[in-house]
Amino acid sequence: MRKFTWKALKIAACVLCMLSVSGCWNSRELNTLSIVMGVGIDKAEEAGEVRITAQVVRPGEIGSAQNGGQSSTGGDAFWNVKNTGLTVFSTIRDMTNQISRKLFFSHNRIIIFGKSLAEEGVHGEVDFFARDPEPRSNVYVLVAEGTAEEVLDTEAKLEKIPADKIADMVEGQTAAMSQSCKIKLSDFVLRLMSKTTAPIATMIEVTGEGEEAVPTICGTAVFKQDKLVGKLDKREGRGLLWVLGEVELSIIVVDGPDGSPVSLESIRSSGKITPELRDGKVVMKIKITEEGNVAEDTGTTPLNTTDALAFLEQQKTEAIRSEILAAFEKAKELDADIFGFGEALYQKYPNEWKDMEDQWDEIFPTIELELDIDAQLRLTGRINSPVTADEG
Amino acid sequence: MFGYIIKKIRFRKIRNENDAEQGRGAEGDLPAFSEDLEENLKALKLILGKSGDIVLRRFTFGYKNGAEAALLFIDGLVDKSLVHENIMKPLMLGAVPAKETSEGSGIAYIKSALLYVGDLRESASVREAVEGFLSGDTILLVNGSKEALIISLRGWQNRSIEEPLTESTVRGPRDGFTETLRVNTMLLRRKIRCPDLTFETVQIGVRTRTDVCIAYIDGLASPGLIEEIKKRLGRINTDAILESGYIEQFIEDAPFSIFSTVANSERPDKIAAKLLEGRAAILVDGTPFVLTVPTLFIESFQAAEDYYSRPYFASVIRLLRYLAFFISVLAPALYVAMATFHQELIPTPLLLTVASAHEGTPFPSVLEAGLMVIIFEILREAGVRLPRPVGSAVSIVGALVIGDAAVSAGLIGAPMVIVVAMTAVSSFVVPPQTDAGAIMRLSFLILAGMMGGYGIAIGLFAVFVHLASLRSFGTPYLSAVAPFSKRDMKDTFIRAPLWSMRKRPENIAAEDKVRQGTGLTPAPPEPEHQKPEA
Repeated sequence: MRKFTWKALKIAACVLCMLSVSGCWNSRELNTLSIVMGVGIDKAEEAGEVRITAQVVRPGEIGSAQNGGQSSTGGDAFWNVKNTGLTVFSTIRDMTNQISRKLFFSHNRIIIFGKSLAEEGVHGEVDFFARDPEPRSNVYVLVAEGTAEEVLDTEAKLEKIPADKIADMVEGQTAAMSQSCKIKLSDFVLRLMSKTTAPIATMIEVTGEGEEAVPTICGTAVFKQDKLVGKLDKREGRGLLWVLGEVELSIIVVDGPDGSPVSLESIRSSGKITPELRDGKVVMKIKITEEGNVAEDTGTTPLNTTDALAFLEQQKTEAIRSEILAAFEKAKELDADIFGFGEALYQKYPNEWKDMEDQWDEIFPTIELELDIDAQLRLTGRINSPVTADEG
Repeated sequence: MFGYIIKKIRFRKIRNENDAEQGRGAEGDLPAFSEDLEENLKALKLILGKSGDIVLRRFTFGYKNGAEAALLFIDGLVDKSLVHENIMKPLMLGAVPAKETSEGSGIAYIKSALLYVGDLRESASVREAVEGFLSGDTILLVNGSKEALIISLRGWQNRSIEEPLTESTVRGPRDGFTETLRVNTMLLRRKIRCPDLTFETVQIGVRTRTDVCIAYIDGLASPGLIEEIKKRLGRINTDAILESGYIEQFIEDAPFSIFSTVANSERPDKIAAKLLEGRAAILVDGTPFVLTVPTLFIESFQAAEDYYSRPYFASVIRLLRYLAFFISVLAPALYVAMATFHQELIPTPLLLTVASAHEGTPFPSVLEAGLMVIIFEILREAGVRLPRPVGSAVSIVGALVIGDAAVSAGLIGAPMVIVVAMTAVSSFVVPPQTDAGAIMRLSFLILAGMMGGYGIAIGLFAVFVHLASLRSFGTPYLSAVAPFSKRDMKDTFIRAPLWSMRKRPENIAAEDKVRQGTGLTPAPPEPEHQKPEA
């Protein structure tokens, strides 16, 4: 009996502990909330102030046409609430002067920093999103080439809400092309908090004018500490992702055996960094394993021969190598450790690291890379030979 | 203050005891029969009054001098033609040439040589005679005899054996219990032809004197269980038992729990199966619902058909039943909790849809859900009580009003209708727990409305603790899960193949635990060429 009581007490204790972790709660009806889907943060005209654009959903405009008493007015499904203030949180709360409902951040999908704000440093602006329990840590962090406001002011076209579309675009781009990074708030904050690793973010710009204005992902923003220092283009961006092992699907265009371009689809890849200290010099051994298929051939030479495939594999290896080197050159130029070499070194050589830590900015440009790229081709698609009449 | 309360309670107790003294049966101490027929008849008349359905037939039969005799029965409870053929006829015709003896009363002779009846007994006790008489026996009194013959030639209008309305199956026997105890015991006896099957009958109810029969298989049911049932039945001191529900409420373990610790069924095959697992059944005359004890929570999720169909689908369906039960209890509460407390838990696209549906609805979600759940319960009750042709009208009106009109009028969000409809359908999947489920549904809804997921967690915790604390005739209500029994898991969430369930349920069967032999897994015969040479 005592044993039973003890057991029951233990279980009760566990369950009670579980109950207390359910977090912050109070009752809020859905129609008293305005669901924020995206936030843009820019520098305000007043020095030291921020301008915030919160994209909130207008639920009446979502849903099906047969939505009972609520008749859709046919307007946009979103509304960009804008306000200027000293800090992020105060500005957001201050928005209640313009909007009848409390802003609800749990479904926020993107945070966009304007370029000028990013250049001055973002840590003060990131703090609220990391500290407050409501915003999620899997929000995508982006940097706008111009202002965040103009990115959010575009039309959504396919989707109903631009912020939703941008978030889907960030995901889709990584899943299909892997040319710009996809950074969640938690990763961004981790990189911010690291002494050596440089934060990165997806870069976005608005292309087109007026009605045709479309937000477009244009590269990878590179920060030094919390200040924007430069940008990787798409080629360099993919170079970075090869090393980080974050290339999901991608298309690599190389010259075929007869000089005409061939598209190779990369379907699987991994990257591994192994640091090494050689006579005081830091060498990073990077092992890339990649697998892919032939996806498109604009030439006339059949590709289903061992020679052709070996040639294409060689071409692909070279392409990957040049992309990585380009990214590395850019990183050296910006003196920003976007690859996380410092962390890797610390993990392998914790003792030596103590001495190197403070001089990392000087050491980083002197790092040597040793690339070991294993790129393979598996399939050549449904047809073996090119779609030309000759040669059979 | 406390003294006053205690005094009050004490007073109550004394008053209750006094109440208990009153309202006993009509007859006090009954005398034995005398030798004089007239006197006996007078005594009986005094007891039985002058109801119109009592038939008294006086006649003379017999040997040399002729004997005065009287036949008493209740019109409608006996098979009259049998009485005429088998009692009156042999007495009036056959008595003449028989042995001319006036030795004793002659009643022994009548019994042993004259009547063509199997089931009869003699008794000197007026009480016994009256009891038999009231349950449909015929009484034969002969002048000069101190004993009456109680002859059982019962026969009355019966509902025929039909398929039960409550637990219909696609595959399985179609017979169901009826209102007559004897027919019900017959149905069980037909299924279990084993001498150990025991029926013990007692009469309960001072005025109704209802036959209540404990059925069990000697050697499977634990003797302690049978003792306990008898003890609890013996405690019942009430004037009427009209349905087995009366018995259930007098003998259950947890009268203040919303969960029932006594199961019931209308299906003889189900009762037979439970008897064979070592349970005891309580059959009550006048109702087709037979009780079984001990009862486990998981029994609610076991259907007779599970065992008749093959194990794979039966297992899937059983898991679905658990799911449906959780949906029926928790779905509205979870919806309300998510919509008013934990919006972050709803996937974004779904949240947007739900939000757009809630746009412009006037009530808070919890009120909306509560109204819908209550309206559904009202519709259900109306549908059950109303005559069948009108019942369908109710459901049409209900479906239109709560389903369509409420949504298009913008009173209720469409997702709420879906949730409540899903809940309603799910609640019919586990019939034994429908009542408890309805109460829990509303309670959880209120908890969720007040405290969100935290409230639901508290509620679930309380329910599980309560369930774990329940006992049914000594067996833990959550048996097989808590206390855990690996063996019984074969028949808890899934239904393992019959050949693998070698033993009876651990917590129920007392002595003979083994149900069947080992190695019963069916397999095709080995091919010829592989056989070792004989």
